[in-house]
Amino acid sequence: MSDLDRQIEQLKRCEPLKESEVKALCLKAMEILVEESNVQRVDAPVTICGDIHGQFYDMKELFKVGGDCPKTNYLFLGDFVDRGYYSVETFLLLLALKVRYPDRITLIRGNHESRQITQVYGFYDECLRKYGSINVWRYCTEIFDYLSLSALIENKIFCVHGGLSPAISTLDQIRIIDRKQEVPHDGAMCDLLWSDPEDIVDGWGLSPRGAGFLFGGSVVTSFNHSNNIDYICRAHQLVMEGYKWMFNEQIVTVWSAPNYCYRCGNVAAILELNENLEKQFRVFEAAPQESRGAPAKRPPPDYFL
Amino acid sequence: MEWESDERELKAAGAVALGSGRIGFLIRGWEIESRKRSILNSSLREQWEEKLQTSHLPEMVFGESCLVLKHVRSGIKIHFNAFDALCGWKQEALPPVEVPAAAQWKFRSKPTDQVILDYDYTFTTPYCGSASAEKTPESGRGAPEESSCNPYWEDCEEQMDMVALASKEPILFYDEVVLYEDELADNGVSLLTVKLRVMPSGWFLLLRFWLRVDGVLLRLRDTRMHCTFRENAEPIVLRESCWREATFKALSSKGYPTDSASYSDPGVISERLPIVMRKTQKLIIT
Repeated sequence: MSDLDRQIEQLKRCEPLKESEVKALCLKAMEILVEESNVQRVDAPVTICGDIHGQFYDMKELFKVGGDCPKTNYLFLGDFVDRGYYSVETFLLLLALKVRYPDRITLIRGNHESRQITQVYGFYDECLRKYGSINVWRYCTEIFDYLSLSALIENKIFCVHGGLSPAISTLDQIRIIDRKQEVPHDGAMCDLLWSDPEDIVDGWGLSPRGAGFLFGGSVVTSFNHSNNIDYICRAHQLVMEGYKWMFNEQIVTVWSAPNYCYRCGNVAAILELNENLEKQFRVFEAAPQESRGAPAKRPPPDYFL
Repeated sequence: MEWESDERELKAAGAVALGSGRIGFLIRGWEIESRKRSILNSSLREQWEEKLQTSHLPEMVFGESCLVLKHVRSGIKIHFNAFDALCGWKQEALPPVEVPAAAQWKFRSKPTDQVILDYDYTFTTPYCGSASAEKTPESGRGAPEESSCNPYWEDCEEQMDMVALASKEPILFYDEVVLYEDELADNGVSLLTVKLRVMPSGWFLLLRFWLRVDGVLLRLRDTRMHCTFRENAEPIVLRESCWREATFKALSSKGYPTDSASYSDPGVISERLPIVMRKTQKLIIT
């Protein structure tokens, strides 16, 4: 058994790798990812997955439902880390699979694959807690910069973490972005990872936060038409039912973190496309409590004031 | 893992479990129940949007979760739910807060047909709980009818006895119910929760609205309620509301850190935020 196969087995048991192993894995991953296009070509059949957010045991449920990699070809739409308890193990397992089976798993970048966001929402703290230093966080965030920004399945389905950008009307405009950088606060790359579809606007909307685009049905229609694609598949927003179509089936949100933050009670979904691009959504629930390792102790009474 | 009550302690205090799958107890004349459910599904969300006349709700609305404290003899019910809290948000309708990136965004070339949305995405609410009275027929049969008297809150001089509350008497029942939560599209957090502890001497709860808009603003609106158990007398319930608020700018000028990670737990940093409103009230039963 090669080192890499052994590491994959170890990660599947939710045991993190040694720091030196993470470093070596990231170097190998970098060599593969640097070759990928900003609009990475993906062949069908493929199974599309949305946000995971460090919910390792729920991702194992996902693999149970969708099948193991490399038997199943996977496309993950980003947001592997933050919020859940096991961002380290989750991201490293996906990355190890990427290195082992580069043509059977595609990872694209979500807005949480960023230095700034991970310092606020959990991944940074988790690395520090599990390794006693921030080196692993450094290696991983460097890899984040190499992740592709989008994928195109059989030239017909455009996949991205967030959504569209007013700065982008053709896929070629995405192809020329210099992606090897921290996610910027504005511009096309930022929009692809951050924007959301919105029912109440038809064209473009600006979030009340003063930053962040919302796009309506006519924006999607014209994008799909000019790029000759059937529909857009994206993630980024929690959907109680696991997936949600909008704008007359021109865009679908896929969400793959069941019982999000361990308390929402939502189901999750993955989208399976066969070789003819026929769709099947597979809905799944969170891993049962007993499969999550040792149960936590009864917490001490909280004398809050 | 959830907090679990100690059977012996409950028995000693004369508490009786509500049973039939409900979480809570009948204790010293109060029926106390917490209900924790999933977030609203898409069709219920649409119904709520219609009822609240809005097209925006927090990302996670625990619409069927609640905490209910009912004084059985008088029929007075103090309860906490997301719907009433969101009615408060809708009514207060604060102007939106711009995030730091907004400054840069002003220089971006704008799409020609851009619409600027202007609702309060922080879901700030003045909500401090709901109170009503229902008369339950002594027999326990038939639907409860609305009582002619309605409880209301009146400003008072009394203060909550924080010293007594700090004493470590056994906690018979503890629970926390999230009412709604929003991640502000990864620009911070907006969270409304209520937590409760029941001791042999009475119950105490904290309803907390916590808002952090990264790099901009911290807002904490706390409502505390305390009730001391009394035999054969109308209950006395005190309510203290305390609102605190500070901008990151103000915190930085006082030498406090301004990274968002330092402000993940409102319990720890609340003292750093100046009080903008505080009042104590008493529940009046007419």
